[in-house]
Amino acid sequence: MTVTDWVFLVAAAATLVGAWRVVMSQKIMHAALWLGFTFIGVAAIFLILGADFLAAAQILVYVGAITTIIIFGIMLSAVEDLRGPVEGSIWQRFFSQFATPRKGIFALLAGAGFAVLMMILYTQSSWPAAPGPEVLNTPRLIGEALFRRFVVPFEVASVILLVAFLGAIVLTTREEESK
Amino acid sequence: MTISLPVILAVSAVMFGLGVYGALTLNNAIRVLMCIELVLNSVNINLIAFSRYISPDPARGQVFSIFVMTVAAAEAAVGLAIILLIAKRRSHIDIERINLLKW
Repeated sequence: MTVTDWVFLVAAAATLVGAWRVVMSQKIMHAALWLGFTFIGVAAIFLILGADFLAAAQILVYVGAITTIIIFGIMLSAVEDLRGPVEGSIWQRFFSQFATPRKGIFALLAGAGFAVLMMILYTQSSWPAAPGPEVLNTPRLIGEALFRRFVVPFEVASVILLVAFLGAIVLTTREEESK
Repeated sequence: MTISLPVILAVSAVMFGLGVYGALTLNNAIRVLMCIELVLNSVNINLIAFSRYISPDPARGQVFSIFVMTVAAAEAAVGLAIILLIAKRRSHIDIERINLLKW
């Protein structure tokens, strides 16, 4: 095994442990911090796959912005119900699965069933054994693709972002004016 | 051993499954939002892995995952604004008790 394989194994394990903790933590703040950890692991996987620009964007957008927005959301709302341990422990949740199938066995089927199904699918199909040639200078390639072939989706995406942020501002300020 | 494509895809599939399970079972609306972010991230891993191993055009998968990131950022902003509004009005964000549109 080369160094890259070890790094990939560590990054994948960190990502999966982080994702597990996001779902299973009892306290919401712990889940938010583990979410940031998971995003860093995903950024490491991006780096191993040769997507250096996207790894940087992942750190900036997800770790820097989305995790911070979620933590701000937790902090700004003074609702105790939101911060306290609303979720039960793993065992409580495990036993309550048998009480309500909609939250238990069906959800388990949807999550684990999908993962197992996809893995069976992956093992049965044939894949290229080695990755393609190393892609250098990805920011330049992405920039050219964004402004030539994908220019219309790019502009649509920027309009979506603008509308979403305007909507978020309008939603949160209208309430204060009406008081 | 070099990292083979199915291993990466399996990691992303497990992450997707965890996200789906969390989004279906958790009661707190912010937790559900976090799990949806997990799902979107696992899709990004898939896109980049396919673009590295299979695609003839190296940048295509990365451009797609940039669009996924954009939509995820918009979704987080609007979702959290809605959740904050609900928290102000009803003083809880338990999705089992937000039943205004439940018949």
